[in-house]
Amino acid sequence: MKKSLKNYTLSYITIIILIVIAVWATLFYAYITEEVYDNVDDGLKNQKIEIIRAAYQDESILKTDTFGINQFKITKSNVKIKHIEKSTFRNELIYMPYDEDMEPYRILTTYFYGKDKQMYRLEIRTSTVEEDELKYDLATALIILYFLIIISIFLLNTWVFYRAFKPFYQILNKLEQYQFGKIRESEPIKSNVREFTQLDTEIDKMLDRNEKIFKQQKLFIENASHELQTPLAISTNKLELLLEDEELAEHHLITISETKESLERMIKLNKALLMLSRIENNQFEAIEKINFNSLIFEVCEEFADLIEFKGIKIKINEHGTFTIDFNVDLAKILLSNLLRNAINYNKSLDGLIEIKIDQHHFTIANTGKGRGLSADHIFDRFHKETSAVNSNGLGLSIVKTIIETNKNLKINYSYSDSFHIFKIQKL
Amino acid sequence: MKILLIEDEAALSQVIMQSLLAERYLVEQAFDYPSALEKISIYTYDCILLDIMLPGGSGLQLLEKIKELGKDESVIILSAKDSVDDKVRGLELGADDYLAKPFHLAELHARIKSIIRRKNQNGDDVIVYKNVAVNTTDRSIQVNCKPVNLNRKEFDLLYYFIIRPTKLIQKNSLAESIWGDHIDQADSLDFIYSQIKNLRKKLKDNHADMDIQAVYGIGYKLI
Repeated sequence: MKKSLKNYTLSYITIIILIVIAVWATLFYAYITEEVYDNVDDGLKNQKIEIIRAAYQDESILKTDTFGINQFKITKSNVKIKHIEKSTFRNELIYMPYDEDMEPYRILTTYFYGKDKQMYRLEIRTSTVEEDELKYDLATALIILYFLIIISIFLLNTWVFYRAFKPFYQILNKLEQYQFGKIRESEPIKSNVREFTQLDTEIDKMLDRNEKIFKQQKLFIENASHELQTPLAISTNKLELLLEDEELAEHHLITISETKESLERMIKLNKALLMLSRIENNQFEAIEKINFNSLIFEVCEEFADLIEFKGIKIKINEHGTFTIDFNVDLAKILLSNLLRNAINYNKSLDGLIEIKIDQHHFTIANTGKGRGLSADHIFDRFHKETSAVNSNGLGLSIVKTIIETNKNLKINYSYSDSFHIFKIQKL
Repeated sequence: MKILLIEDEAALSQVIMQSLLAERYLVEQAFDYPSALEKISIYTYDCILLDIMLPGGSGLQLLEKIKELGKDESVIILSAKDSVDDKVRGLELGADDYLAKPFHLAELHARIKSIIRRKNQNGDDVIVYKNVAVNTTDRSIQVNCKPVNLNRKEFDLLYYFIIRPTKLIQKNSLAESIWGDHIDQADSLDFIYSQIKNLRKKLKDNHADMDIQAVYGIGYKLI
């Protein structure tokens, strides 16, 4: 799964901090217990010296043979020990009435000779840290600390991200809204970060470069189509003159006529390409409020003969009035291309065209041969589903280009109940 | 009928001229702005065919000059730029018609004829061929002085034939002229055929001396 850059860094930080804190906690714990025992042991050793000193002066102390309030006991010992000065330490659990529980004690054991040359064994005890509780407390503290760190890093991260990466997201947003061949109105990103301004200018440069190439290509198509007009006009007109030559035999005339028909197909194709260029170059500027209802009727009227000839039934249902600001010529081209499409690709028998007009959308649906078409490619230039001879493959791409001149319009194709449906809707 | 053809493309100018000569017009050619202006200033024509992009100036400028000179020549703009703006501006500047290149010569003839007729005759304009009279003002026809009812498309068809009788007219130019660009080539043959069949039937039923003859694979002619 894709994470945002922010969460991506955060997830790594979370894991790394967990490891760091765990290692640190172990070391810290070892160091603290070491320090605590060291301190306790020092205290016990000090007490030992004081008790032995006191025992020399006051022999009654030697009779303290149980741990009482003094927290030490002295017992006679017969053990032979080489280094009597040597103290040994051990930990022991002893019942403590206060806690009603066994508590850890640190016990110092040493031997000494009293005034009476008798060897005594001295045990001094003192309550020491509860390791369990220490561990528990430490763990609790560290868990809280861990979460506090994570939360503050999260907040800090968010804030820093918001501040530092703002230009980055602006650039991203800019790219998202960018449409090829459309004029960009974006201003350069303001940022103190060199990398971001660099990225922004580089992206702008790249887009400019691409657009320049795109424009050149467009211009090339436009110029090429334009330059083709005259030779095409000359050739067809010459053929037309030839056709009026009474001396030519009929089979010659037919060949000439066929040649001319091919040339005329080329003329139509060329005209369609020029039309695309003109639409893309926004040469249809005049915008006015267009009532599509009446325009649809007008266009249907224009096609009435052809529709009748092809035996197609046409139904127009008006549920509302579809009006939008549009160029009137483009609107006519749009509708006649759609209608022509609906006529040409209709069934040869019992064809039906259904036009539904609503306030927010209108649909042109037609029965047709075969199955649904690929909605992804149907508007592509020179895309042909069938090998239709009389199609130049540009009709629907002109439709799409016209729709794209208005940001508030959208067209989509669908196939249902054996109807090919083109739906134009306001956004 | 004198026509001035202003077109910088020599080959195109030549083929248009040949076609016009075949229709028995007097044709003069101009290939650039200065020579066109000179000819317009000195002579008078019935019709001027004007290309918009000319060496030395624009056809639209020429239109302005024609107006300035107080000439009343009819002007048909022939433009390779099929742009609405040019068309609107041209017509605003006083052009009578606008034809986008490439065009059918048959279409050009139809436009020239209707313009010249509009200009030369005031009031009712009737074209007579054999026993058929076509009134282009009220769009009615009479066969043997009896009115015959034609629908709009049938009238357009007949008109297209009767302005150039005995000439072979191709089905594509017919289709485009009467039904616009909407019709596809594959359909045009059958479609035109069915329309012409109706027209022929009406002419025959009313005992017209003319008939529309099919020239297989190419088109039709009025005889």
